[in-house]
Amino acid sequence: MSATFKANNPFGESILKRIIYPALILAVTTSAHAATLKWAGTTDPQTMDPHAVISTPVLGFLNNIYEGLVRRGKDMAIESALATSWEPIGEGKGWRFHLREGVIFHNGATFDADDVVFSYQRASAESADTKGWFAPISEVKKVDAYTVDFLTKAPNPLFPDSIANWMIMDADWAKSVGAVTPNKDEGNAATLNANGTGAYQLKKRQPGLETTLAKHNDWWGEDIGNITEATFTPIKNPATAVAALLAGNVDMINPVPIQDAARLEKNTQIKVFKGIEARVIMLGFAQQADVLKYGLDQGKPNPFLNVKVREAVAKSISVPAILRTIMRGNAQPASQLVSPAMRGFSSVNSDRPDFDVKGAKELLAEAGYPNGFSFGLKCPNDRYLNDEAVCQAVTAMLAKVGIKAELDAMPVRSYWPELRQDNFDMYLLGWSPGTFDHEHPIRFLASTPNPEKKLGSWNFGDYSNARIDELLPMIQAEIDDNKRQEMLDEVTDIYQDEYAYVPLYIHPLVWGTRSNVTLTQRPDNFFILRWASIN
Amino acid sequence: MFNYILKRIAQSGLVLLVVGFVAFSMFRFVGDPIDNMLGQERTQEDVERLRGELGLDLSFPVQYGRFLMDAIQGDFGVSYRQGRPVADIMAERAPATLELAAVSATLAISIGIVLGVFTAIRRDGWIASLIMTTSLIGVSLPTFLIGIVLIYVFSVHLGWFPSFGRGDVVQLGFWTTGFLTKSGLLALILPSITLGLYQMTLIMRLVRSEMLEVLRQDYVRFARARGLSERVVNFRHALKNTLVPVITVTGLQLGSIIAFAIITESVFQWPGLGLLFINAIQFVDIPVMAAYLMLISVMFVTINLMVDLLYVFIDPRLRKGGL
Repeated sequence: MSATFKANNPFGESILKRIIYPALILAVTTSAHAATLKWAGTTDPQTMDPHAVISTPVLGFLNNIYEGLVRRGKDMAIESALATSWEPIGEGKGWRFHLREGVIFHNGATFDADDVVFSYQRASAESADTKGWFAPISEVKKVDAYTVDFLTKAPNPLFPDSIANWMIMDADWAKSVGAVTPNKDEGNAATLNANGTGAYQLKKRQPGLETTLAKHNDWWGEDIGNITEATFTPIKNPATAVAALLAGNVDMINPVPIQDAARLEKNTQIKVFKGIEARVIMLGFAQQADVLKYGLDQGKPNPFLNVKVREAVAKSISVPAILRTIMRGNAQPASQLVSPAMRGFSSVNSDRPDFDVKGAKELLAEAGYPNGFSFGLKCPNDRYLNDEAVCQAVTAMLAKVGIKAELDAMPVRSYWPELRQDNFDMYLLGWSPGTFDHEHPIRFLASTPNPEKKLGSWNFGDYSNARIDELLPMIQAEIDDNKRQEMLDEVTDIYQDEYAYVPLYIHPLVWGTRSNVTLTQRPDNFFILRWASIN
Repeated sequence: MFNYILKRIAQSGLVLLVVGFVAFSMFRFVGDPIDNMLGQERTQEDVERLRGELGLDLSFPVQYGRFLMDAIQGDFGVSYRQGRPVADIMAERAPATLELAAVSATLAISIGIVLGVFTAIRRDGWIASLIMTTSLIGVSLPTFLIGIVLIYVFSVHLGWFPSFGRGDVVQLGFWTTGFLTKSGLLALILPSITLGLYQMTLIMRLVRSEMLEVLRQDYVRFARARGLSERVVNFRHALKNTLVPVITVTGLQLGSIIAFAIITESVFQWPGLGLLFINAIQFVDIPVMAAYLMLISVMFVTINLMVDLLYVFIDPRLRKGGL
């Protein structure tokens, strides 16, 4: 080919040497380092709109494309991203963010304060799932092109932590494509396209089939591996995903089915990454219902109103046995509503109730149930890893102290409506704190339900304690870390003493890769592409 | 005659209405799409608002009526999960399913007939017995198991074929095809065997028993007596006469190949309509489920209607009154 090129070209040789050869060499050297990664997960991110849906598949995926003012590092700590620094203003009036200069969106537009103000308006719109994050905000003011003030209704020391997943969208782009607010029901341009500042840009999106990302060459950061292109395929069937990894058709899968983890670890071509997720799996009780709704004792007074009965439940379940058998050693016991990796974990309350069948029986006798009772346990069967098996184990363990649970396991699509309608005596719940702070589960699970104040919205059992309700706003506004922790310890102490919930274990996180892949596994189950490399 | 056709078409329409009604009434038990659509931080207010926007707070007959009115105008609504028109999504997924079904049907018919003839002619040979025995596997093993075994042997161990997906596809107008690339063709092999195996064994057994029946007929004996070669006897006289029932059954089976593709598609992550339907159930994506069920029932009803009409043309007795 070069011969014909030379013959037809009067400049021949010199053009080849000056332009084409160096270009070829460049192409060869970069391709030696550059790599393409294919990965698979169970769930396709349902939208590319960062403000439409709060769910791990969506936010985890979009963290590669969009960026926030702040972001979480490998250890989950908050670090600077599109804001270089931030400080509180006034006496708890709000926060000032200084923005990074020279940041370029995927379409070439420049990032500045207007994009931040626009993204705030977009993310707090009525149709945005993310609007709850901005409930404490009264106003967002552009100070200059690279400074923005967020004014809060009350002192809010945690605000920067709470917006790590709030992603900034290019204002002009969103306006020009007609995606000024998210539209979940009918979709809009931002559902299928993206224009962020992240290390990767959306190259091709086929919902439910395949999504391809390509490296954003003008990205401002330097902390990036050698992946230049990455393709995500949702694979619903876990056996198919494992086969694809073993056959080398994909480089990474998330999750690895827990029963396959040990087998994959023995394979030299596969690496298994194990960790714990931020999610705590727990049992909850009907705390206000007068009577039992299920089982043989249906219609009789509700025993779970008695704290001794709830304590007996906690004591009759052997969490280590569940973890050894059902989780095959891949999870850790939980003592409270958050895992020890979360901010605000109460280390003075880190003991779980002991497994004590005799003690449990005594407690039941004291409570007036020497012969136990029968009730209904509701459980999802496709939401958490081996959730139904865990409920079956719990049922068997409770039977040993004389409490007969009638287990009703169902798909999650029917489960939440059942819980919302109070159709349970006891139920299984997993909770992952979106803010990675203990305040989050207290707000959603331990506060007295109050739709107006948006409190206790997942507290299905209506657990209520006046002191916790009193402490929560104080925790939210406290700037001094020590004082805050004291209050968190007090809340933990209360809900542990009252056995508001029985925390069981921290959900495991198991990923599998080909042995030449390196990556970082974060407890929020986000796969951050720029930390991955293929050797 | 004309009356008969009109009557059959009217009956088909009624069947579709009933299927739609039954399907729609079942959606209420599939679950609630709202929780999948709203995240962890949703409030009761959001739940009520979205329910209103989607029209889920309306009574069941009103919802069904709305669906029918829109469907007649070709509007199947917007997918709850993808936020795109259902018709677009179905059009995007249909080529994958249809290509897979076409390849499996071709495999099933060609191999099924060849093996059926072979086992009938050499009914006492050991190869024929072996084929008959192994064909039991095709009839008795569930599809997903066959698929997983094939993946394990040919993808994981031997590495000959991809373990999932469609490979590279080429866009031809509105159609995407896997027939034009090497990876696309390779990707078709395992799923089409998995999907077609049952039909193949069925056709094989049918051809075999029909052949055995025909080979006993007088005209075959006379043909032999005339000194015609075995080939002419077996293929020109015997096989031709066995094909009528085979064609009827094969026609009806085509419909079920497309409908049964659900399992094969989910084992191989084949991006077709069946996989779309399975995912839609998981997410309670009612518009997608409704459109898929209607599509499948339209397909079955059309096939049946055509078969009924064919009978009229084939059998002159049906043309004269009495209907």
